[in-house]
Amino acid sequence: MNRTIKNEEKKPAEATGPKYWRSLDEMADKPEFNEWLHREFPEGASEMEGVNRRNFMKIMAASFAMAGMGAAGCRRPEQVILPYSKQPEGTIPGVPVYYTTSFPGAKDNIPLVVETHQHRPTHVEGNREYAPYGGSVNRFASASALNMYDPDRMTSSYEGNKRISAERVKDILAGIVAKFGPTKGQGLAVLAEPSTSPTRLRLKKAILAKYPRLTWAEYSPTESNNPEVAASRLFGRPARPLYNLDQAKRILSVDSDFLNGESGSVGMARAFSKGRKVDDQADASKMSRLYVVESAFSVTGTMGDHRLRLSTGNMTAFLARLTAEVLELTDGDPRLAEFLRKRAKDLPVEDKWIKECAKDLVEHPHQSVVTAGSHLSVEAQQLAIFVNQLIGGVDHTVSYAKLPEDTSSEITGLASAIETGSVESLIILGGNPVYDAPADLDWKKLQKSVSEVIRFGYYFDETSLEAGVNIASTHYMESWSDGRTLDGTYVPVQPMIMPLFGGFQELEVLARLAGMNNSDSYGLVLDTFKGSIAKGGDKEKAFQRLLANGFEPDSAFETIRSASLNPTEVRESLSSASLTAVGTGSDNLEVRLVADNSVGDGFYNNNGWLQECPDPITKLTWDNAILISPALADHLGFDTKEGDFLIGGVSKKSANFKRGREESRIAELTVDGITVRGPIHIQPGLDDWTVVLPLGYGRSKVGRVGTGTGYNAYPLSHSGSGMVRNGGKLVITDDGYRLANTQEHWSMEGRAILREGNVGTYLKDAKFVAATGMESHSPPIYGHDHSSPQARSLTTPRGGSSYETPDFSAPPPNVDVWKDPEAREKFIPEQQWGMTIDLNSCTGCNACVVACQSENNIPIVGKDQIMRGREMHWIRLDRYYSSGDLEENRHSLPSDPQASIMPVGCLHCEMAPCEQVCPVNATVHDNQGLNVMAYNRCVGTRYCANNCPYKVRRFNFFDYNKRNTKEFYAGPIGTNEYKLEGAALKSMQKNPDVTVRMRGVMEKCTYCVQRIEQAKIAQRVVAKDTNNIKVPDGVIRTACQSACPTEAIVFGDISDENSAVSKTKANDRDYALLGYLNTRPRTTYLARLRNPNPKMPDYSKALSRKEYKSVQAVSSHEGAAHGHDAHATGDTHHDDGGHGGH
Amino acid sequence: MANFFPKWSNTLPLKILIAVGVLGATVVAGVTYYFTPKYTRVGYEPKQPVAYNHYLHAEQLGIDCRYCHSYVDESGHANVPDAGTCMNCHSQVKKDSPLLEPVRNSYATGEPIEWVRVHKMPDYVYFNHAVHVNRGVSCVECHGKVNEMETVYHAEPLSMGFCLDCHRNPENGVRPLDEVYNLNWAPENEAAHAEMAKDMVIDANINPPQSCSGCHR
Repeated sequence: MNRTIKNEEKKPAEATGPKYWRSLDEMADKPEFNEWLHREFPEGASEMEGVNRRNFMKIMAASFAMAGMGAAGCRRPEQVILPYSKQPEGTIPGVPVYYTTSFPGAKDNIPLVVETHQHRPTHVEGNREYAPYGGSVNRFASASALNMYDPDRMTSSYEGNKRISAERVKDILAGIVAKFGPTKGQGLAVLAEPSTSPTRLRLKKAILAKYPRLTWAEYSPTESNNPEVAASRLFGRPARPLYNLDQAKRILSVDSDFLNGESGSVGMARAFSKGRKVDDQADASKMSRLYVVESAFSVTGTMGDHRLRLSTGNMTAFLARLTAEVLELTDGDPRLAEFLRKRAKDLPVEDKWIKECAKDLVEHPHQSVVTAGSHLSVEAQQLAIFVNQLIGGVDHTVSYAKLPEDTSSEITGLASAIETGSVESLIILGGNPVYDAPADLDWKKLQKSVSEVIRFGYYFDETSLEAGVNIASTHYMESWSDGRTLDGTYVPVQPMIMPLFGGFQELEVLARLAGMNNSDSYGLVLDTFKGSIAKGGDKEKAFQRLLANGFEPDSAFETIRSASLNPTEVRESLSSASLTAVGTGSDNLEVRLVADNSVGDGFYNNNGWLQECPDPITKLTWDNAILISPALADHLGFDTKEGDFLIGGVSKKSANFKRGREESRIAELTVDGITVRGPIHIQPGLDDWTVVLPLGYGRSKVGRVGTGTGYNAYPLSHSGSGMVRNGGKLVITDDGYRLANTQEHWSMEGRAILREGNVGTYLKDAKFVAATGMESHSPPIYGHDHSSPQARSLTTPRGGSSYETPDFSAPPPNVDVWKDPEAREKFIPEQQWGMTIDLNSCTGCNACVVACQSENNIPIVGKDQIMRGREMHWIRLDRYYSSGDLEENRHSLPSDPQASIMPVGCLHCEMAPCEQVCPVNATVHDNQGLNVMAYNRCVGTRYCANNCPYKVRRFNFFDYNKRNTKEFYAGPIGTNEYKLEGAALKSMQKNPDVTVRMRGVMEKCTYCVQRIEQAKIAQRVVAKDTNNIKVPDGVIRTACQSACPTEAIVFGDISDENSAVSKTKANDRDYALLGYLNTRPRTTYLARLRNPNPKMPDYSKALSRKEYKSVQAVSSHEGAAHGHDAHATGDTHHDDGGHGGH
Repeated sequence: MANFFPKWSNTLPLKILIAVGVLGATVVAGVTYYFTPKYTRVGYEPKQPVAYNHYLHAEQLGIDCRYCHSYVDESGHANVPDAGTCMNCHSQVKKDSPLLEPVRNSYATGEPIEWVRVHKMPDYVYFNHAVHVNRGVSCVECHGKVNEMETVYHAEPLSMGFCLDCHRNPENGVRPLDEVYNLNWAPENEAAHAEMAKDMVIDANINPPQSCSGCHR
């Protein structure tokens, strides 16, 4: 599959006129359309603005026209083909075009390659040319394709309730220039979202030069600048710590979710995974070790080899203690060590934990690193910088990038300016401060008090309601801009579609404010590139190259070489800091506000893919909850000790959790007199007295998807204390609430579903994984076949059954030419597809889930259906908790469990149980080893799903695409979404190479069969009449594989022993999920390894293995007759148990 | 006691049985004939907005299929030409012909010409032109002799059975690659061609998929 990367060609917009709409069945005059159009202000709006800009519609018109035509007689509906009038150069109908761009973030733009079909962006993938991120994305970048087609986005600019034209917007902006130009910006303020764009920075400087008295503030509720502030303070220039985790053998994360939540996590996860790839025992002995200290349970926490629960308020004290220990071990300044130790003396952490951890870090000079969560205080960041210097990490595992000079006010500064009445006009660029500004500022009131508020935004949201003028923003796929990755590499933001609804680009607005003549954002970006990025040569050409590559090589920030601090400086800077431990308790809870794993700070609240994407840890969808620890639950009177207690549920009765429905209770959390109400979810692994509140829900003005989801936790935010509050009180009310949770059970019950072990176990016995699980000692149901899972999935046992599995290495028996034995020799067997998933690398970040949804047209089903267990995701991430004591696990919630995450999609079994029960042969095996679903054959008996031991089949109980989420049960009398304009917009996102499934058919992971077939076709097109028909290894990448930041998923031809996937399958750790069922799956797993430090006090990890062993020990006593062998009993290795010490 | 039933009623069950049998057979025969693409699709010849004559252009003037249906060898779709393609010639040839009014109109306004689709696959079928024409399957195999059609009509049933006939016996559908777009090509020697086609299938490993995944995704 050759992917050509094309640049957007700049050309003037062609006037096409609104006539297309006439051919679309007068769509524009339909009442539904008008209602949709005027939804924001039903009384406003009379003009059909923006339609004639939909240039690309001429291509789309074909499909609309089809929808418009009824059945012309019983023969078949007449369809028309609408070709281009003048076909654009380089456009081949039916062949997707790929554009490079980047996903804008506050500190980090993710380089992307976006797939477009006839100029509709349909699927987002990372740019593989950019090695540090290696083509991976996060779930937000993947899901941004859906935001593009959100029918609820702002479709026009508004003045009050009136829709206004683009010309009017330009006049308004010109008015600002005219008014504030002479006053040098006195009374003008800008509140912007942080951005990485050098062009925006250039324009900002131009604006500040033109209006020296202007207040420019930047605010993001969930992105903290503390690491940059600390580094800048210590190094005397703007700087940012960059962690080079691929160099690190020992990593200590202090409340830092660097694998998931932090900016640049895609790159950090990739780098981290490099140290966790284990091909053999030699690699295992070199595997990195991750210590995690955290208060919430983060994705990084699940990957930790040692995990310490500690409240966030104590993190600074922890770092102080750690610094003291490291100082001692490295013969550093004893006075500083004494000072730190004294100041942090009440820290409720076992001394040995810190000591041994510090020792381990120090023993790996240049190979260890301490990462501090960006939400931690500046003091904590300083300590982290200092400790990294002491352990020799500087220039090895950590470096300091020189950031460009850029100063902005804080939102608090702007708030006080507004309070004093010195702001006449406020321009808000992006963000949503009315919803997410610190609650103590009472931003809504402040904003109302400003006489003129101009808001530039993508949605008509809470802030828009309080703004006089609302300027519609374009999506980033419709705009020119640029940006930088975390390390400063310059990346373009390039449009691939004309703006669907007109709207303005951010750079254009800023250029107009700066009073520039040239407000064309393409020109602005080009100027920036020519001015400060390109390095000599033909700069126009270099720009074209930039757009083709998607990033500018060697454009990263310079780093400060051998950055160092002296201890006196550190002590001085910490002299006034509070390093004392903060006590918490049941009546003095620590409250943490965190960005939600699904909707971030709330911007993605209206994105159905993200709403429905289960949280990696809680597995909640469509809602946030107040996460409390089992200890707190106990204290509140919940029964966590008896009965069949299932996770999350809070009712005293058991069985309160059934098929996705979690019966929760509403709690009231009060901090400083402000109360927030939300449902409770008991989350094992939290610090006992820390309560975690995900932000981004409970929006009061949001689109149809986000309305009514979750509760708003922002009222507890405070400008002074950041996102951590103390003194919280939690009261349970009698009100109940139903949460939609996709995983009801959380214990493996001692079975070897997810196999894991310690590095020590693996070093002692490389084959321990194969010896785990039933198939290693099960009776002869297995046919005495002890070959590897790979060999098993390539062969199928013959005999003993009336059904003969076809031999796929042979030609099809019904083709005559191959019957000749001479011809038979020339036969090239089909390639056999298979996959491995490395559980040692998978972090559970959900990038694969969203990427799969985007690639495979997977519908959104809504909360109600999730509560009935009808989610449609083709790949799910199972999260298991283990505490080591199975009996305890069965009867109570573990408070400090180990979490393990396992992605499960269709495993494409060679002996697939689903195929055997389908009465209509709708699910059958093909000759490349795929377990295929023929949707057009499926009659919906659901036998296959019943018979699937992995529960990966998904049934379309309703016409999820055709019907509104709220109208599923209305059936055919409900609204046909296909006939609504908004849905037509959404259908533009659909991948044309994948069938959109209808009601009553089963579906499941196809291994992205459309990509396989396209690659095979492309190879045959090249082969012409030669037999060069084998698709080279690595050409086919499934959507999940491409998205995965840690390269946990490998896909390819398992019949080729040199393919990447065969090499992973040759790994000792390879095993088949539920292998004893003899399903012979094509997807196999590489068992997980944990690398705990035997000297640590909590050396008791690989807890799930402990559980497994305890079950084996019991059953082997009972059932020796089964021929149990020695490995299951008797060998409770030291390195598996909690004995400590080697 | 009188006979309730007349004598002729003795044969009634048999007659009914035969009648039902005949009726059933007729229905089955009717359905198998009339309800299949062979009947419903073959011969479909809609009126096009522009009376484009394939016979004139492709046969008499000898324009290659790919001049208009560009990218058929690169894309799954055979492109339907834009008005610009027509205007390459018709800006000089017959430039005032009233028949070409819609083409000129489209070229001038940007409005597409609404060609009526003749060959249509169901939505769940992913047919790919490129792989067929590059592996020796000529246009004529599915579209018939378009070069002899004044108005294009549906020449072959294009049913699943039709596809599978060829996918099961690929040697019947392949020809030398340089004759793929020559719709008039016929082998000089049937036997030699059969031998050559068989060798081509074997040497190039032309194994058209018979599994669902080949066409349904």
